[in-house]
Amino acid sequence: MIRIENVSKDLGEFKLDDVTLHIHEGEYFIILGPTGAGKTILIETIAGIYQPDCGRIFLNGTDVTDTLPKDRSIGMVYQDYMLFPHLNVEKNIGFGLRHKKITRNETKTKVNEIADLLGVSHLLNRYPGTLSGGEQQRIAIARAVVTEPKVLLLDEPLSALDNRTTGRLREELGRIHRITKTTTIHVTHSFEEAFSLSDRIAVMGSGQIIQVGAPDDVFRKPNSEFIADFVGVENLFRGKSVVHDTISEVHADGICIVSSTLKSGDVSISIRPEDILISKKEIDSSARNSFSGKITEVKDMGALVRLVVDVGIPFMVALTKRSYEDMELAYGTHVYIAFKASATHLF
Amino acid sequence: MLTKKSMLKIFTISITLLLTTFILSLVICIVTHTNQHILLTSIASREIQFAIKLSLITSIISTLMCIIVSIPASYALARYNFTGKTLINTIVDLPLALPPLVAGVGLLLLFGTTPFGNWLADIGLKFVFTPLGIIIAQFAVNISFMLRIMRSTFEGISPRYEYVAQTLGCTPIQAFLRTTLPMSKNGLLAGGVITWSKGIGEFGAALMVAGATRMKTETLPISLYLNMSSGDLDLAIAAATILIIISIISLYIFEKHGGIVHLY
Repeated sequence: MIRIENVSKDLGEFKLDDVTLHIHEGEYFIILGPTGAGKTILIETIAGIYQPDCGRIFLNGTDVTDTLPKDRSIGMVYQDYMLFPHLNVEKNIGFGLRHKKITRNETKTKVNEIADLLGVSHLLNRYPGTLSGGEQQRIAIARAVVTEPKVLLLDEPLSALDNRTTGRLREELGRIHRITKTTTIHVTHSFEEAFSLSDRIAVMGSGQIIQVGAPDDVFRKPNSEFIADFVGVENLFRGKSVVHDTISEVHADGICIVSSTLKSGDVSISIRPEDILISKKEIDSSARNSFSGKITEVKDMGALVRLVVDVGIPFMVALTKRSYEDMELAYGTHVYIAFKASATHLF
Repeated sequence: MLTKKSMLKIFTISITLLLTTFILSLVICIVTHTNQHILLTSIASREIQFAIKLSLITSIISTLMCIIVSIPASYALARYNFTGKTLINTIVDLPLALPPLVAGVGLLLLFGTTPFGNWLADIGLKFVFTPLGIIIAQFAVNISFMLRIMRSTFEGISPRYEYVAQTLGCTPIQAFLRTTLPMSKNGLLAGGVITWSKGIGEFGAALMVAGATRMKTETLPISLYLNMSSGDLDLAIAAATILIIISIISLYIFEKHGGIVHLY
């Protein structure tokens, strides 16, 4: 679908360094990386805002490297919405339809449909300056999606929003992708977004693509120090959740994890490594989750030690070097781990 | 007893009040010099009517020229990096610091003595001692103001609006016309008004290029100068009063819409 071949671009402050990526038709592709990694200029180059210094970009097999943005059929959503402040919401959403050969009535119908889909129909006569961040971002998404682009580019679309809005809009993005099946490239520095939305992830650092793969692979099997440092700080799993009264039971790869976050269906789970207790004897505590397994990896981080404990699925556990030595743990030791239901975050 | 803090307050406010009184007295002296009847008769006189008309026409044309040139030029300076940009920035700002009389001498030499000026005169564009000279003088002195205001206006608008517009089907030029340009309307209005009001008041450069010929190149400030010299105080006051009214109106519009732009 999208083929980026050996693209380099130097903008001084930010750069792309020999980027090669293949993104499949209908895929939800996430580009994950720290600030300054060159994520934004990568998608702006895909959109045609910048001409690469070298390399080619193909869209459905056609070389679009020298094509103007308007002829690429690409929709773009920025972190800070970039709604046109001098136009009302209806005109903002309809902006891209003016260049299509359709009647005024069709435009109105399309704008109304997409406004319904994103739940912003009641805002059509308002001006962007009077709206909340979440509302503005929904409109920005509507404005991009209404033109039925072949590719949707999202540049940190949820980063400027508060936590609750982020969660809701993240689900919305997943829903829109399921409905429209538009190939989507979503740039973010959030693991949660990457893990919960993506079919595949590319991790970027200093202008280069460092690893590409399914989220599980990238998070479990980082291919470099950089990625391990960047993504390897969380226990992230996917599973199916069922809610019982005040808890959720999540089945993930044969084990059952209890969480106090109430959410059912397909969910992602995160547990911070420092919230996990570890012991050589069975742990007798109020923690609802308790498993046993073997230490399969030991990583010395200076004052901290990070262990991977395989209990069927690998758990990352962090503890101080002092306790690591006191407990006489080592590679291959049989251990018990435990964590509270409240330390288990579902999203 | 007065604390040191309130001393400071009293001192600074007193200076401000003195300054305000000083400026107000200038204006009051002019508008109260004659009575209303004489003022109205003078304003209605053929000479002042001519000066008003010539001032309006020349200033409106030179303002439009400033707008037309400054939009692309300031856009380039705000958005692109190119070699020599720093030097060009300094040069285009030069008229801000240059005394208008000097700019006027330069214009007189450019249009009066060079082959370029002779060629323009041959095809009918005579600038020396004509109303056209007034327009070019106003343009030369004011373009930097307009350019500066528009440059800071464009710099304040994220280029990403245009990027989004381009992905939504606009060519780069359409994207500019449909997003950045309408979004800069406050800057355009503020810049246009200040340029226009400075154009109406332009004296030094216009005097050099267009001269001060009664009923020919007689704008309001030139009229004020001519009538002061010849002792026609009533006509001079009439011209001055109209200039004051124009300044107050344009200052009001500038303050109202110019909040986002900085002159310096």
